[in-house]
This record gives sequence, structure tokens and C-alpha cells, in this order.
Amino acid sequence: MGYPHKSDPKENVVLSEYFGDAGARTYDGWVERGGYKALKTALGMEPNAVTDIVKQSGLRGRGGAGFPTGLKWSFMPKEKTRAHYLCCNADESEPGTFKDREIMRWTPHALIEGCAIGQYAIGAEVCYIYIRGEFTEPIKVMQAALDAAYANGVLGDNAMGSGKKLDMYIHRGAGAYICGEETALMNSIEGRRGNPRIKPPFPAAAGLFGMPTTINNVETLAAVPHIINRGAEWYSGLSLASEKSSGTKLLSVCGNVRKPGNYEVTMGFPLKELIYDLCGGMPEGRTLKAVIPGGSSVPILTREEAEGCILDYEGCVAAGTMLGSGGVIVFDDSVDMVYQIMRLAKFYAHESCAQCTQCREGTAWTVRILERILAGKGTQDDIDLLLDLADQMTGKTICVLSDSCAVPVVSGITKFRDEFDAYISGAREPVLTHG
Amino acid sequence: MNRATIDGKTITAPEGHTILDAATESGIEIPTLCWYPGLSVVGNCRICLVSVDGAEKLIPACAAPIEDGMKIETRSPAAVDNRRSVLSLLLERYPTTNLDAGAEPANIFESYLADYGVKPTTANQRELPLRSGDERPDDPMIRHDMSTCILCTRCVRACEETQVVGVLDTAERGGVTQIIVGTDGDPDKASCTWCGECVRVCPTNAIFEFLPRERFGEELKATDKVARSVCPFCGVGCQIDLHAKDDTIVRVTSPAPTEITPNDGSTCVKGRFGYDFTSHEDRLNKPLIRKGWEKENDRWEWRGGTDSLRRTGPWQTIEGEGATMKPAAPPRRQGKRLKDLPLLERTAEVSANRVATPIDWYEPFREATWEEAFELTAQELTRIHEDDGPDGLAVFASAKCTNEENYLLQRLFRARFGTNNIDHCTRMCHATSVSAMSDTLATAAASGSMREVEHASDVIFIAGANTAETHPVFGAALKRAHERGAKLVVADPRKVELAARADVHLQMTPGTDVALFNGMLNHVFAMQLEDTDFITKRVKNIDAIRQSVEPYTPERASAITGIPAELIREAAEIYAGGPNTSTLWAMGLTQHLRGHDMVISLLNLILCCGMIGRWGAAMMPVRGQNNVQGASDMGAIPFVYPDYQPVADPANREKFSRAWGVDPETMSLTPGMKVTEIAKKGSPVRALYIMGENPIISDPDIARAEEWFSKVDFLAVQDLFLTETARYADVVLPGAAFSEKSGTYVNTERRIQVTEKAVNPPGEALADWEIVTEISKRCGLESPFESPDEIMEEINSLAPSWTGVSYERLKGAGLQYPVPAMDHPGTSFLFPETFPTDDGLANLHPVEYAPPDELPDDEFPYVMSTGRQLYHWHTGTMTRRSAGLDQREPTPTIEINPEDAAELGVKDGDLVKVTSKRNSIVISTRTSFRVAPKQVFVPFHFREAAANLLTNPVLESHAKMPELKITAVRIEPV
Ligand SMILES: Cc1cc2nc3c(=O)[nH]c(=O)nc-3n(C[C@H](O)[C@H](O)[C@H](O)COP(=O)(O)O)c2cc1C
Ligand code: SF4
Ligand code: SF4
Ligand code: FES
Repeated sequence: MGYPHKSDPKENVVLSEYFGDAGARTYDGWVERGGYKALKTALGMEPNAVTDIVKQSGLRGRGGAGFPTGLKWSFMPKEKTRAHYLCCNADESEPGTFKDREIMRWTPHALIEGCAIGQYAIGAEVCYIYIRGEFTEPIKVMQAALDAAYANGVLGDNAMGSGKKLDMYIHRGAGAYICGEETALMNSIEGRRGNPRIKPPFPAAAGLFGMPTTINNVETLAAVPHIINRGAEWYSGLSLASEKSSGTKLLSVCGNVRKPGNYEVTMGFPLKELIYDLCGGMPEGRTLKAVIPGGSSVPILTREEAEGCILDYEGCVAAGTMLGSGGVIVFDDSVDMVYQIMRLAKFYAHESCAQCTQCREGTAWTVRILERILAGKGTQDDIDLLLDLADQMTGKTICVLSDSCAVPVVSGITKFRDEFDAYISGAREPVLTHG
Repeated sequence: MNRATIDGKTITAPEGHTILDAATESGIEIPTLCWYPGLSVVGNCRICLVSVDGAEKLIPACAAPIEDGMKIETRSPAAVDNRRSVLSLLLERYPTTNLDAGAEPANIFESYLADYGVKPTTANQRELPLRSGDERPDDPMIRHDMSTCILCTRCVRACEETQVVGVLDTAERGGVTQIIVGTDGDPDKASCTWCGECVRVCPTNAIFEFLPRERFGEELKATDKVARSVCPFCGVGCQIDLHAKDDTIVRVTSPAPTEITPNDGSTCVKGRFGYDFTSHEDRLNKPLIRKGWEKENDRWEWRGGTDSLRRTGPWQTIEGEGATMKPAAPPRRQGKRLKDLPLLERTAEVSANRVATPIDWYEPFREATWEEAFELTAQELTRIHEDDGPDGLAVFASAKCTNEENYLLQRLFRARFGTNNIDHCTRMCHATSVSAMSDTLATAAASGSMREVEHASDVIFIAGANTAETHPVFGAALKRAHERGAKLVVADPRKVELAARADVHLQMTPGTDVALFNGMLNHVFAMQLEDTDFITKRVKNIDAIRQSVEPYTPERASAITGIPAELIREAAEIYAGGPNTSTLWAMGLTQHLRGHDMVISLLNLILCCGMIGRWGAAMMPVRGQNNVQGASDMGAIPFVYPDYQPVADPANREKFSRAWGVDPETMSLTPGMKVTEIAKKGSPVRALYIMGENPIISDPDIARAEEWFSKVDFLAVQDLFLTETARYADVVLPGAAFSEKSGTYVNTERRIQVTEKAVNPPGEALADWEIVTEISKRCGLESPFESPDEIMEEINSLAPSWTGVSYERLKGAGLQYPVPAMDHPGTSFLFPETFPTDDGLANLHPVEYAPPDELPDDEFPYVMSTGRQLYHWHTGTMTRRSAGLDQREPTPTIEINPEDAAELGVKDGDLVKVTSKRNSIVISTRTSFRVAPKQVFVPFHFREAAANLLTNPVLESHAKMPELKITAVRIEPV
């Protein structure tokens, strides 16, 4: 549903069915709406069979990388010799992304149910839900739901009477974007500085507290109960384009559209329709200039590219970008792309955990140069320097935050070079005084 | 084994080896900045990335394990580009002063810049600020210049992982990320121990030793000599490198962690920063002779004052100084800016007068030539020998001098003067351990190694040892062992650092150790946790032990020790459960009237649980001084020749007399007197020779010691300084510090290590072995030694455990004795099958608990214990003349529990008067939860409030060890 707007018939409302429906937040309300049936079913199955269903459904990670979820679960050791953990990544801090927030706000039990099924499938007695610290309301809602789930015997030593132990804790983040990176998140839960770890070892071998761990995004886990209830085939059939992308996807649309918000569509939905139909198009008198379709870490699309882009993993790659987290940022013709790129770079520079030389120094330097250009003091050499820096920052660091900073810079310069040139030649008035 | 190629070279690497390991092994250099041997691999600098065939991205060599079939290019264009990129990115915020000046690279980072031809961008293009971080303003030893920090986090990891302290951390994120000191910049509050591990690992000298840079500035860069030495302080025996310039030590560094050293390359604050005493202005550089000695007709005659006046000078006695008012201790917690507090001005003022030898002390002496000094000493020793016979003479050897020197000294007195009155400060240290271990196991040293305790013990039991402060490098190893998962059980009346982090802290009433160990053993038997196999095969007298511990139920032990019975049970179960338990103890156990019994009861526990004779189950009396083990090994104790060959055995006398070229009949078969018996009223000793000891401060009941010393007939003191003891001397012979001579030392794990001379002694001062050799010759004993290694040759011909020792073999890690042959590798742990007793079995001795001599009462309600602090060493002669150490702990303090302090109405820094049955001192209060209520702690390093004025000279019956750990005192505010 296009919460907070009315649902559009072109949407395919699965996860967002109860967005705006306060009744779904309570335990009883959730059960009335068919909740916890999937968990009950799953608990009656072999854990491997649950994983197999998820594998067959074609569900892919909604946190950004799109890694097949069932496959990820199957990496967990089959022989359980040590504690296993599930981490739910609810740190949602990617600029332009706000879908997990709504899932937690309106359907907390959906997430709890999804986590519990995941836990069962991978043999994790404990699940940590790591929620972005600024999400004060979702945290409250989630905590209340978690308490209710315990009170009703869904969780605890004998989850739903299955004899299985399933425990779940909420861990509040403290405002660092980097803690959304999976290994930084684990460090953070462990009480360490939220620095990403070098990989290998991968979390399935040594994750939280050094134990085998799986980590999934909120939206990924929230989809699992539906898959259990309605079957893998149903889910894998939800696909308008590539069959490698299935299911529904929540898209958080923001920027210069008339009706920003969350929209849930079937994989393969055209970006053009999303912007012009579902979101009501550009504000009065404006035209589309650019779109970042998958949260701030993916390449920027020009109008032409955006209007031809199909919203699924393959479609986005074909258009030269990525589906990422599904945060769609729309820019109209009034937008100063150089300034926007500087703002994005500044975000990454601020959020770099600062371990890696290239990231710590590269992001800070990139910002300085962009500011210099915006202050009318840039030269053509600066453009080369930016591209050179971006190259140094790509593919050489512990996590991909560094790459993410380089992405908008490179795509911005390549696609909107004239705007940079205008600042450099003096054709455009400087917008910054320092720099 | 994995096969791979690196730069075209085929290599094989064991599983788990990284690309960096394999490359280094095959001589291929890959630059690294954040990687450091032994620290966790974080892979953050990204300079070591290399190309691997088939990999999409560059791979960090320091983190990536070698996989079979890998094809690695360390200098591919992409790898080299990346290296340049890392260097230029780091350089962008790094000060270029040194580079601009075209100077030699100042550190490894600058060397890489040169290697890869990376040049700074011109100043006007540099827009980013230099890096910053917490500095340590006004710190006496460690300072930061964070503009050169490259955020490799080696310092953070070294502090946390190697030293297990965690003072440093990375704060903030993004471009303002910085290294911080604690939460508010105050190292003191963050429990910094000033060990300087951070200094060692920092690749850019962003963290540096302040003193050398301050004193030697530019000269530091061009030191002319580096000599490998052994730290002159505790028994860990850390290897250190002395850097010299113009015959002065300008810096101390520690060996690479990849070398095998007892310290794995670490040091504590004393080892790294406590070397400047060697160049202190107080160093004696000429022999001194007391005014009044005059030479007439070829003989020296005393023409000075007589009786009580004879040995005094224009100075206060220790007793007098103790009672005098003195400056209060400065506050400990300094806050962020030390400068804002008056600490430094106060300490500077105080220390100027205090640390230096007061000029008045020299007044009773005149400078003399060596000829005069040797002549007088030889004449008087010979004369008193003739007048009073052998036992009119006695000698104090030194736990700070080399094996060779101690050997020569006992050789002189045994061979030439026929006396066994030879002892040294082991008497105040582990004498009861030695007597107990001899009775039970016929051994006198630790059975195992520090390394096995760190890496192989499952349980570490520490009784009466404040290892984290007194043996800090070993203390850190214990903390690392604890971090790795070993269980730590600590028996100590004080909540010292290791006790505070222990799994079980047995906080007992002082002096009740026998009851505790008997109680633990009682529970072991009750639960049938003893090692029956070990007992059957290796010990005698088990029934007597079973019987004797029978009454010591945990409840009864609890009633005596004040430890909850539950904890005693838990500790016993952990101890016996092992599977490998190591047992450590030190002065907390030995310095008691019942010290011998305490050690015996601990040995009973060790043996009944079978915790000895395996790798991981070590018996470790932790030795206090850098050569206290060696001095004993060399026979500087009254009852044995070198290598513990009893003097009472005529065969031994025969052997040694032959080697020393004297008639056996002139050598004594009677064990001699001990330190504590020699300097005591009524002792027959009239002439005393002291090499590098300061008994006036270290003996119990100083006032009595001062009295005795003022009456002795002849006193010769060989030392670096005019110490409190030397000021009573007739002749003062200026010796050489550890850095000024070569020789060997034995550490607490029987490791013999050799040191290299780094600089010359000041002025006319001579190496101690040279002094003793010359005196030996002048007394008529043949002593044909030209160098320390020649002395070692005589030693290894007489000491069976040392047969395989030679200077050549000692280079590097040294050798752990027994080394019975030249091709023997040394012995890392002893007694795998038998004990060196006659029948090979351990002799268990039942012991009963008995209370200490002095119990608190209404008049003296507090129990005082004495001991050492982190920053000082024994009688303070060395550490109080080391500027950095002295500034950390400038004044004497008494630790009082805050509850008691409140009752007494005193707060931190307030002076109090502490009185025992014997004497009083005035001293500053330091409130601390480390001491239990009604217990206090006074360090014995400070002459102006000498703890030993108060202590009880009552002696333990086997080893003649005074009860230094228990004194009943009264405390009054002044
Ligand atoms: C810098 C950075 C930030 C990230 N932040 C988030 C986040 O806020 N939420 C999230 O689900 N995944 C985030 N990720 C992705 C996670 O690392 C991880 O891939 C994801 O949680 C896996 O879940 P999925 O397989 O269900 O997508 C981030 C990754 C990086 C590199
Ligand atoms: S790339 Fe940036 S955010 Fe990621 S680990 Fe390195 S420094 Fe930290
Ligand atoms: S101070 Fe030195 S060791 Fe510490 S992070 Fe900076 S450069 Fe590395
Ligand atoms: S040395 Fe490998 S990343 Fe720093």
C-alpha cells in the first residue's frame, strides 16, 4: 500500500497490507489477521525443509546486496556444535530508505514471526534485532510486540509448545550508519566499536561472538511468513520481468514527486510507472532530471535511463545501476546535481568508520574538492582528482562504504559533467563561500 | 601444506599462514603499517594489498591465508598503484617538515614514501588539517604528537591485547577519527601503567618517549651503539636494547616480538624508562675513604674519632628522618591537563632535594685512589681475619650483580678467609621458599617457565604475589592467559589488580595461609580430587598429610582466614580440576614468621593434586630481583657452594678447594650466618663487605640495624651511589651499573642470559668483577681472570647444572639450566619423572597453622604489610634517581581503606603518624579499596618514611626470614 497514501491498484500489497492499521500491532490483532500460523507450520517441519522452501521461493536479500536468502541460510553449519545466532538488520540508515521503519511500526509481529522462522531454520536459539537508534517509535512498538510474543508463549523456552527454545532481543543502535554493515553490526552488539571486520571469515563461519551467524534485513525476514503460508511457488511466481527476481518489493520514494511514500510492487515493475503513476509525477512545472533507484549507494540514472529502468535486480543492472535497498530518490530539473553529490559524499565521509585509509581520507578529500568546486574555486584538474580518488576508493577497502561514496561521484561526473564545468568556468554562481 | 607462487617463486606454506607470512619467509618484502607481530590482524591500512590471480579485487596480504594454487603478484601495477595511493592519502594530512628538509626518513612510513617515490602535494594545495588526538601534556615519560598519527591502531591493540590494559582507543568516526587516552585524556584514570608498549609499536613516533627526546634531541637519531642487555629490575629478566651515544645511554628499546625473549619484546615502565639512574649526577666515580684513615709506615691506621662518633656524619639517621614532617603526596588523579595542577612544580621542588645524595653525606669522606682503597680493604679484611678468625668476617653479595661477580665474591670469602658467612637479600625474599622446596623436593628454583603459564596452564593459582605490579611483564602474560580462558585464583589479603580480575579472590586475614591451603587440601581429599596416581608414584608420607589436614575443614579454615568456606571449596575444586594448574607465589607467602610452613603447605597442595612436572603445571616462586636466582645459584648463600653443593659435605670442600688452589683444611664445613643474623646485636662479625646492597633500608627494625652498623669494626661497600648503608662505610668502592659491564643473570625461570656492555662506567668506577678480582689478588687468592667469560669457564667446570653454558651459547634466548652438556638445549620444565631427592620422591611434611608473631590489639589496631610499588624498586637507590619513575611516585604513601581513613578523619595526601612497637614514621595517606579495613600497606622504597623502621625483626626458624609482612601499628593524624 502506498502508505501514507491510499493503495494504488497497480501495487501488490503483501508486506504492507496492514500499514496504517493499528489493530495489526497487537498480538491478538495479528493472530486475527492470520499471524503466527506460518511459525506454527515451520516448527512442525524439519529446519532444512524450511530453508528449502525459502530457497525455492527465490527470495533475495532486501538489505541491498540481493543475496539469495535460502542459500545464505544453508551456509550455516548443519552439525550444531556451538551457539548459532540470527541477527535482524533493522539499522536502516541508507539515505532515502524508510521501508523497514514502516514494517516495524505497523506489523512488528510479522518481523518477529519471520525472525523466529529464520532462527528455527538455522538452529539459532537467539536472535538479535538491531534497530537504528533514532527509530524511537518503532523500537517501542517492537518491544511491546516482543513482550506480547513472550507473554503468549510464541517465544521462550518452549516456543509455541514446540519444545524449541527461541529467544529474541532488541538491540538499539547509537546512530552510526556503518553499524548497518553486517560485521560492524555484530561488533556493535558485542559492545565493541562498530567497525566492519575483514572477511573471511564470513559470518556463517564466525560471526556474532565468533559463532556461526546469519544476518538478514527486516524486509527479507518479514517476507518469510508469507512464503511459508502461501508456498514457494506463489512467491517465485511474483515476477513481471526476470525470473531471477521474485516477490514483492517495498520502494521508499522521496524527493521531487507529488506523493512520496512507500509503495509495494511486484518485482519487475517499471520505474517510470512508479514515478509518474503511483507517485503522481513531478511537481507542477518541473521535469524529471535524475533518479537514484536503490538508496544513495547506487549509480545515478539520467531521465532517459530512469524512464527505461525495470525495477528488479537484473533490470537495474541493465540500466547501469542497482536495486539496492529500494530507496528511490527523485530529482527534478531544479536540482543542483553538484551540490547533491557533495551532500551524499559528505554523508559517507561523516559515516566512515575510518579504519581504511582510502575510505577515511578519500571520502574527506572528496568532500573538500566538491566544496571547492561549489565555491567557484575548482579547476578541471579537480575533476580528474575526483575520478582518480574514486578509483582509489573502489574495491580496496574492508567494506563497501568507500565504494558507495565513489559511486555517485563517478556517475554524477559522467552524467552531469556540464554542471561541474559551469561551476569551474564561472558560468554558475558559487553556492558556497568556503571551500 | 599449501603450494602457491609469489612473484613467480614457488613456495609452500602451512595451513593458516597468510600471504604476508609466506612472503616474509621467502624474503619477499610487502610493506605493512597496521600489521604488527603478535597483535590481532585488523587490515585497516590497506597498504599490503596484492594481486591474486583470479581474484576480482586486491587482497590484503596480512589477513588472507595462503590457499593451494594461489598465484600472487606482490608488485603488480595495481598493487603498486594502491600502495602509492595509500601513502599519498596518508601523507595529505601528515606534517612534511622532515620531508621538505630532505632529511633521512624519520620512520617506516617516511621510508615507504621514499621507496615509492610519493611526494607531498604543495603546501597551498593542502586543505585538510593535520591529524590530531589526545596528547599527554606534561607527561613525564610518554608524549604524543598526533599530527604524525596514521591511525593504524597498533597502539590501541598493543595496549589492549599485549598489556591487557586498554587505555587507548579510537574515538569518533570519519575524518575527525582520533586516538584517545581514556575517556577524558587522563592516563592515570584510565589505569595506564606507563609501560610504553604504545611507544614500541607506533610506526611514526606519534607516541614517543619524552625523556630521551627532551634530553638528547637531535642526537637521538645518531646513536653510536646498541647493546643487548637484561633489565636491571625484577626477576622476569626482560631483554632490552641499550642505545648509546657518546658513552651515555640515551634510549631503551625492547627486542622484536619475533625474537625469543622472556618478555616477548615487552617491558614495563621501569625497564623502558628507568635507565637514567646510570647517568645520574650522584654516581660515584672515585673511591671514597672515611676521613681518619691515615697511612703510616706502610700500614693504614684509624686516627679519627672513636666509639659512637666514629661512623656518624652530618646527616639525620633514618629513624630521625622517619619522624620528620615532610611534604604531602601530590594528588594521584590529575585530570586532563596535568599542567593545570601544581603537581610538577611541587614534585620538582621536592625531588631536587630528596633524590640527590645530600652534599653533607660526602663530608665524612675523602676521595681516594684505587690503590689506597684496595690496600686499605685488603689490609683490614686480612687483619680482622687474623685477629678474630674466619667468622669475624662476613659478606653480603648482591642480587643485582652478575653471576660472575657473586661467584667471585663467595670464592674470595670461602677460599681465602674460610668463612661461609655469605648471604644476600634472598634472605628477605625467597629464603623460606628455598628452605621449604629443599625440604620437600631438594630443589631451589622454579620448576617451570613463564611461557607455559601463559600458554598452557588451565588454572593459575597465585598466592601472595602482586605480579601485575612487581613483575609487570609476567603480570601482563597472566592477564593474557586469563583472557585466553585460563582460570585465575588469587589468594591475597589485598585486592591488587590480578585479585580484582580473578575468578576467585581469596581475601584472607594476613598470615593465615597455612589454614587456607590445608583447608583447600581437606576439600580436595573430601571430594577425592587428589591425583592418586601421582601420589602413589611420586610422594612419600601421604598418610600424615591426610591426617594433618583432616581438622582443616573449609569451615574451620574459613573461621581462621576470614574467607567464606564456599570460596575455599570453589578454589580447591578449580585448583585440583586443572587439568594443568600452575602455582605462583612470592613475598606475600614467604616474608612471615611461618613462611617456611606456608610454602610447605602450598607444596603439599601442589603435590597432592599432581600439579608439577608437566608442561602447563609449573611451580613458580616468582623471584624478585633480576639476579636473585643467580646469586643463590652461585653459592652466595651460607650453606652451599655454587649449584647448591652443600658446604658441609667434605667431598665438596675437597673439590672446590682444589679448584681454588687452597688447602681444604682452611675452608669451613659449617654453614655460615645469614644476613639477618650477621647485622644483629651480639653477632661475632666485625668486618663486613657489601656488594650492591642497602640493608639499612631493607632490614627490619632499621633503628637497630643503624646501631649495629655504627659499631662494626670495618665496613667496605661497593655501590653505584653513596647509599644509606654506604654512608657508614670505611671504604666506598664505586662499581658499575648493569649497562657498564658484561656478565650473566638468571631470571625467575632459571634462564641464564648474557648482557653486553654498552658504555663505560663513570670516572674511575670499575666493573664489580674487576674490583673483586683485585681484592682477591691483594688478599692472596689466585684470581687469574681477565674477563667475565673466563669466570664463567671456572663456574661451569664446578657447577654440574651449568656444564653446557658458554657465552657463545647464551646469545639470543639464553639457556634454562640444568644444561648438563654443551649440546644440551637447556630445561624448560623440571621433574617430569622424579625429584632430585635421594629416592626421587617428594617428602611431604604436615604443617599446622600458627598465628603470626604480632597480632593487632587495642594499642596497635592495624595490620601493616610492606612491599613494592610499580614505579619503584627496593630501597629506591635506582628508581628514585630515574626522573620519570620518580615523578610518578615521588613521595612515600600509606594505603588506608577509605572506611578507616574516615574514622581517622584523614583524606588523601594528609600526613599521618604510623607507630609500631619499635618506631614511628610520618607518611602521607592514600586511600584505597585495595586494602581491607584495618589493614594498611606501606612501600619500603622511601628513606624518608622507611617502612622497615616499623617492621618486626622476629625470624622464621628455618630460613631466618623476618616477618616483614605483618606488623601491628597504630595510626594517628598529625
Ligand atoms: C555501509 C553499509 C550499511 C548497510 N546498512 C544496512 C542497513 O541499514 N540495513 C540492512 O538491512 N542492510 C544494510 N547493509 C547491508 C548488510 O551488510 C547486509 O548485507 C544485509 O543486512 C544482509 O541482509 P539481506 O541478505 O537480508 O539483505 C549495509 C551495508 C553496508 C556496507
Ligand atoms: S570502507 Fe570505510 S566504512 Fe568500510 S571498513 Fe573501511 S573505513 Fe570503515
Ligand atoms: S599513534 Fe601511532 S600506533 Fe597509534 S594509531 Fe597513530 S600511528 Fe598508529
Ligand atoms: S598491513 Fe595489511 S592492511 Fe595494514
